[in-house]
Amino acid sequence: MVDFSLTPEEESLRDLARKFAKTEMAPHAAECDRIPRFPEEIYRKAWELGLMNLNVPSDYGGSGLALFPQCLIVEELARACGGMTTSIIANCLALEPLLLAGTPEQKERILPPFCGEYKLAAFCLTEASGGGSDPGALSTRATLEGDAYRLTGEKCFISNAPFASLFTVFATVDPAKRHKGISAFVVPRDAPGVSVGKEEEKMGHRASATSTVSFADVRIPVADRLGAEGDGFGLAMRTLDHTRTPIGALATGIAQAALDYAAEYSLKRQTFGKPIAEHQAIQFKLANMALELRAARLLTWYAAWSLDHGLRSTLDSAIAKCYASDAAMRITDEAIQVFGGYGYMKEYPVEKLLRDAKLTQIYEGSNEIQRMVIARELLKAYS
Amino acid sequence: MEIVVAVKAVPDPETRLRPNASGTDVDPDGVKFLLSGYDESAVEQALLLKESVPGSKVRAVSFGPGPRTEEVLRASIALGCDSATWVELPAGTPADALLAARALAAALRNVPHELVIAGKQSGDDQAGIFPSALAELLGVADYGSVTNLRWDSAGSHLTLECNVEGGIEAMAAPLPALVALQQAWNDPRTAKLPNILKSRKAPIERVAWAKTLEALGGTAAARSVLTGFRLPAPRTGAKMIEYKTPQEAAGKLVQILREEAKVFP
Repeated sequence: MVDFSLTPEEESLRDLARKFAKTEMAPHAAECDRIPRFPEEIYRKAWELGLMNLNVPSDYGGSGLALFPQCLIVEELARACGGMTTSIIANCLALEPLLLAGTPEQKERILPPFCGEYKLAAFCLTEASGGGSDPGALSTRATLEGDAYRLTGEKCFISNAPFASLFTVFATVDPAKRHKGISAFVVPRDAPGVSVGKEEEKMGHRASATSTVSFADVRIPVADRLGAEGDGFGLAMRTLDHTRTPIGALATGIAQAALDYAAEYSLKRQTFGKPIAEHQAIQFKLANMALELRAARLLTWYAAWSLDHGLRSTLDSAIAKCYASDAAMRITDEAIQVFGGYGYMKEYPVEKLLRDAKLTQIYEGSNEIQRMVIARELLKAYS
Repeated sequence: MEIVVAVKAVPDPETRLRPNASGTDVDPDGVKFLLSGYDESAVEQALLLKESVPGSKVRAVSFGPGPRTEEVLRASIALGCDSATWVELPAGTPADALLAARALAAALRNVPHELVIAGKQSGDDQAGIFPSALAELLGVADYGSVTNLRWDSAGSHLTLECNVEGGIEAMAAPLPALVALQQAWNDPRTAKLPNILKSRKAPIERVAWAKTLEALGGTAAARSVLTGFRLPAPRTGAKMIEYKTPQEAAGKLVQILREEAKVFP
């Protein structure tokens, strides 16, 4: 039986996120975007309230939430600031490979000390000439030498890297094997040879910090490899199956903020002697924004529900992420149009929403890759 | 110290209230209920006292219909209360502040308590009757509009402060006592996510309506009856001044104050 009502528990979690977003994040969103600034005091509070390691089981010090309540939380946070939300949920992405492929010993050793304090982790897949969209072309190299690997190479566009104390790194043990050579490792920031580059100057998500991470002959004990050698590609893909659904929620949150601002403004702003909300041109814009927003949310909810019930995940999560992020771009664009000239001004909040929405079409698998995934999954049913 | 904190589910202040079809009360459909701001302060104070006096326990109590009353009790547990008692009121049964005090006083006969803390008034009806009525029924001293509350372990008494006209009064109050708190002089904490999850599974002691009726000798009718609820008339008369410079705006404002509002001769 289909049931779209939230349980009291889900409502309580959403209320917590809504309150945190409104009281702690929203007042600083414009400032952190303008400077830009990485507001660690806000991220620390998010950790204190249990909003950071949402996917880590409570036995290991996380919040132990299923994907659906995670999405409820992420949407609420993103209504206040997409960039801050990216930084708050980056741990979920970075720790997911450990949750999926880590041995009980690895989880017990790494997770409780990590989750028991305010700490950040970063997921290191993307490289300058491969990795994100084409993991087979990874060039970061892990060479087995006795009981340890020697890691060399550089990752780029890594969220939270400048402030992270732990990295999950995908590297190849043999480039000739392409996908089949990729392996995953847990690398502490303080391991000799690990360094992070300067913070990138970004179009949006400016409250989040992004940089390169370099590995110069970093020694990684075999005990810190996740899964078997060569299992890294599948692990990266399974990780993204879980984490790209919350990106749909993040895009939905940005879009909801855009609709909220546009609808409120349309009731106040007057042209031709009446509020612009009474002009059909504006009404149609608001209606289109609302229907795309609704579709984005429901596709995200469906993908989360599907994963939580152990059903197929790749297709649903790709559809949710792809649609919600494309919708967020259209909705934030229309919000600026409703505001007219004011919407183009940085003094008003809507242009930031468009800049923040743009990244959701790119990260955690660009929407072009999502469409390839969707088509491949789709065609399986016909062949 | 055995501390009891009395709480009430009230409409979210951000909810737009509507009258019901008969115009006799608020239409509860779509209204979100939560802890009143006064009660948030009261719960916070109870938890601060618990943390400062080793071995203390805090029990949240509330009288009202489900599911909203159960929800604010779970919210109180998520904030840190150790236990909760829900004195049930059948949905749609009229109730007033005095009935709430009587029902809770009856329930508290079976609950150990040395200190009862309540908001000085509810966030919705704002009658301000409940704390004094409950103190009277419990036969304990009643302190109203308290803005600060500490436990003096040397003197074995509470130290209270009240903001009064032109100053701050300090009082020493022995237990047992009922303290009604002013809102927002402390900074109520936010429930942490793991505690919210735990609060969903926490047992809540329920006192059935029949049991309350029996304890009250069968006279459990509200003495005041709500006969109407309407929204205030929308404000009118606002006038927007069109201007290009601040000087022009000021000039037009003075003109309006002089010629239309007749504030100046």
